[in-house]
Amino acid sequence: MIKFLSQLPRRLGQLTGGYAVLWPLAMLAWSTDEWLPTWLLAIVFSASLPLGVEWLRLIRTRYGNDRKAQALVGSAIYPFWWQLIVFWSDLLGLSDLRSGMASVGTLGLFLIGLAWLVWGLERASRRIELTRIDEALRNGPRLHSSPASSGPTVDSAGRRRRIWNPLDPLAWYYGRSSRKLKQSTSALVTYGIVFWLAALMLSQLRGCQRIYELPAGGGVQKTVAQTVKIQKVIRKKFVVNPLSAIKFAVPPIDEVKLQLQEVTAHQYMIGYGEGTGAGFAGGTQRGKVRLIRFEYDGGDWNLNFGIGGDGNMLLEYGLLTQQKVAEKTESIRIAHLASFPREKSPPVIFLTGQGSLSVSNSDVKLLREYLQDKHGMVFASSGSRHFHNQFLALMNRVLPDVRPVPVPVDDSIHRVPFLIPSFPYVVPHGGKEPLGWSTDGRWLVYYHPGDISDAWADGHSGVAPEIYNGCFQLGANVINYGHVEYSKWLQAKAPGTGTGK
Amino acid sequence: MRNTSEVFFAPQEECEGECESSRVTDSGSATLTHSHTHTLTLWHLGNVAFQTMWRVSRIRALQVGMWTGLLCAASLMPVRAVADELDELPLDSWKQLREVERYQLQIAEKYWREQNWKTAAAECEKFLELYEKSTGAPFAQLKWSLAQVKLRKQNTAIKEGFQTVIDYWPESPQAIAAAYYIGRTQKEIGRTKEAKTTLKGVVAKHPQHLVAVYALNDMIDLATIENDVPTRVELWKKLTFEIKRTRDSNTPCVHASQQLAAQMFREGAFDDAVKSLATTYNAVQLPAQVNAYVRSPISELTGQAETKAKGDKLADQAIAWLKQATPADQSTPESKLVARQILFGIADLIALARRDDQVPPAYEAIVKAFTTDDEALGRLAVWYKSKTNFEKARESYRRYADKNEGLGQVAYSYREQQNWALAVQTYQQLLGQDAEHKVRWKSELAAAHRGAHKWPEAIAVYEELVKDDIATPGRWRWEVASTHRDAGQLKEAIGHFRQCENFPENYKQMAWCHRQLKQPAEAITLYNQISSDKASASWSLLQIAYTREEAGQSEPAIQAFQQVCKKFPKDQHASTAHAHLQQKYKISVTLGGANEE
Repeated sequence: MIKFLSQLPRRLGQLTGGYAVLWPLAMLAWSTDEWLPTWLLAIVFSASLPLGVEWLRLIRTRYGNDRKAQALVGSAIYPFWWQLIVFWSDLLGLSDLRSGMASVGTLGLFLIGLAWLVWGLERASRRIELTRIDEALRNGPRLHSSPASSGPTVDSAGRRRRIWNPLDPLAWYYGRSSRKLKQSTSALVTYGIVFWLAALMLSQLRGCQRIYELPAGGGVQKTVAQTVKIQKVIRKKFVVNPLSAIKFAVPPIDEVKLQLQEVTAHQYMIGYGEGTGAGFAGGTQRGKVRLIRFEYDGGDWNLNFGIGGDGNMLLEYGLLTQQKVAEKTESIRIAHLASFPREKSPPVIFLTGQGSLSVSNSDVKLLREYLQDKHGMVFASSGSRHFHNQFLALMNRVLPDVRPVPVPVDDSIHRVPFLIPSFPYVVPHGGKEPLGWSTDGRWLVYYHPGDISDAWADGHSGVAPEIYNGCFQLGANVINYGHVEYSKWLQAKAPGTGTGK
Repeated sequence: MRNTSEVFFAPQEECEGECESSRVTDSGSATLTHSHTHTLTLWHLGNVAFQTMWRVSRIRALQVGMWTGLLCAASLMPVRAVADELDELPLDSWKQLREVERYQLQIAEKYWREQNWKTAAAECEKFLELYEKSTGAPFAQLKWSLAQVKLRKQNTAIKEGFQTVIDYWPESPQAIAAAYYIGRTQKEIGRTKEAKTTLKGVVAKHPQHLVAVYALNDMIDLATIENDVPTRVELWKKLTFEIKRTRDSNTPCVHASQQLAAQMFREGAFDDAVKSLATTYNAVQLPAQVNAYVRSPISELTGQAETKAKGDKLADQAIAWLKQATPADQSTPESKLVARQILFGIADLIALARRDDQVPPAYEAIVKAFTTDDEALGRLAVWYKSKTNFEKARESYRRYADKNEGLGQVAYSYREQQNWALAVQTYQQLLGQDAEHKVRWKSELAAAHRGAHKWPEAIAVYEELVKDDIATPGRWRWEVASTHRDAGQLKEAIGHFRQCENFPENYKQMAWCHRQLKQPAEAITLYNQISSDKASASWSLLQIAYTREEAGQSEPAIQAFQQVCKKFPKDQHASTAHAHLQQKYKISVTLGGANEE
């Protein structure tokens, strides 16, 4: 290995060393919070591609026949390129590819590790065996002193001792028969457990705290006045007999040039508080409205996710409310909720799907904590009747003391900022009225039973414009409601208000 | 003459003292006022259904399950405080109205009855505009508010409706009702904390008014949501022992006394439970009710090792109590029947307490005391069957006084064991000896043949029934068709289904058969005919889509699925079609979409 490293071109070695420092930092930044700009992350991750190619080229030219060197370089490149694919698929909104690569890549990593383990184990045990044979050849009679026993082995000094080295097939704990098989099996089991534990630890690693900040600003809780657009009326021309009884002398009316669009346009900002610009009291300048959804096991959490899906809703929300919004939608696992501080948590998290919804007991506890203690809100939409039942069962576990009720038509969530006079849905998977779970006058959960995310997606499922526009407005209302309630809570907790704890 | 059997097994609502309107009459039927029937109709129907089934099959396991189910349902189901009495205009107020005012209110009432809430609210509003000073104004305002609730505008109803009644007409009777309705509406929209405060206030302010009863009832409902048993017990006690029972307040009070008794039994407080039931039922009815409400707790408590001792003690107390309630003088037929029913109750409780060695002697004692008692033998047989001792069960059935009925039960027990040969043999024996009930035994025989997958024999028997049972030949034609279908003789099945007259069910079956025969065109034609039935239209269109899909016609299938979404956007089949399009074809443009007013 040292020989191999010493023969490397100096520049490539330096570059690789520098990259080896940069890459983990970029990984940390990417997996915890976006404290590094995306373009910078893209550059860092993409740099692995030319660097890896250079390494492969070098190995091919210098060590064309050295398969070990090729395997070593290939194995070293694997995690970098794997993460590169995951990063770019995430950036391009290819959520299926991203989640697929994440699981397939892990399997690949496991297999590569296993291959190296087998190779290393075989090599080490062979070396030990050869040493033992050499020693036996030198000392003659003691070659088969304890050939098939798992008992003490006689050493060069003639002392009887137990072998503890797991790389040695004659170790006492491998027993008397099928030692090689037992050694391989135990190595595989140990490796599997270590790999699983490492994966578990990494998946639970919260790293730096995640932060969600509201966009700074203010606004009022009022229904947006409907803007009236004047339609040009094409007058019909009649060709009739001038001697007929029809009277065409229409009496003149006052010419009134109504500037209806200006007159009826709303003059206030959507949000909450007294700041300038549309936003929320308690927000920050770098804060944005983000549309985050839950990832979960068992089903298709990524239904209508990202560009062309709920990304449309986020975009529309920005247009409708003039609030600052994130560039793209995001997803987190329920376990990640713990990494958000108490007053910097996401005010609303979206949840949808068509299949099963598998949530562990610890996640249920986290979700309850998020809803009740962190003043969060879940905005759920059902993609199938099966999901409807799954979601109700989940909520029964999360909030056993709260019964779902139909959300009134005249609730503020249906009136502010947009008036939703009738409930729009794509298809009634779970009834025709929205359900809500409420505590202390606040909706903790708003459940849309009619696949609202399908109306947001490209093509809008082919539903009529008034329905998908209604779905966008309803989505905006729910997202705004969550943020307003969160802002109110932050304000109430702020020092000087007397209500903060 | 009182039908003591009904009295014993049917927990009926009745109050002591003033509530004469709901007292069980001597003929055994309960004369219930309309307001009383709202909640316990289900209960009553359950009992009637149970008794019918009891007489027919005497399946004790079913009885236990039925009782347990009904009691569970009753304990889970809150008494629906209909509160109709609160939104009605008192006769005195009606008298004071002018003719025009009455007319306007009648118009509003008409739309209200038609459930046209929007127009009803508009008519009430019109009344308020025209006759603001009228004595009917608070009533119109209350009705307007209730219409808002129906329109799911509960916040408007509270703020602009009920509160207005309280603010503008504080002395009116409607103001009290409005105060209660605020609490109830808050409860309905999930504002439980506010609801609790409001309802508590209503109870404190108007303890003797009917609203207090309804408010207490709603508070029980809230405590149920929060699983707060102590509060529920406290509120049940209040309704059971403190509230004066009138025609309107009776139902919630009766229900509370039942719930309290069930809870007390569960806690092992036998005497308290009996006291609670005694507030509702008289001495003659009480043993039946005690037996009815103690069953479930005994079964639950003795079923678990940690509560078995408690359950045993409860069973001992209940049995002892029932024994002391047995009439000492059994000279009259009525008292004899009461004593018999009590003995049945005791035997049932022994079985529920899992004291297996004491069960046969208990039933045998009844048989001995009342000569050959088929009901007792039937119960004993069902108990044996529940212990999978079918031979003993058949022994009991064979001791029936009604030999044919007993043999019928023997045959049925063979069917339960899937011993088809003996079942057929027994039914044939019955056909030979009981010509009077030929139709019944033939249908059972055919069912046994079907169970044994002996299709030609079953069909032959059903064909005989078509000829024998002139009153209902359609029923047997359907069975012939179904048997052909089960036998895989689909062409024959189609022919027979065609002769049935229960459209669209027969067409649905025919279409299904054509699909199995890979004849999509014929199936689609039939589905199109089914679609003329409005209730089946969306279903048939969905089936057309599936049929086309099975036939490999993907494009028309997709179009058909989309048509389901487009034509029936509010129907549950649209949900199926939408999900299918997305999952199978990855098509997101499913059409459909609707607005719900």
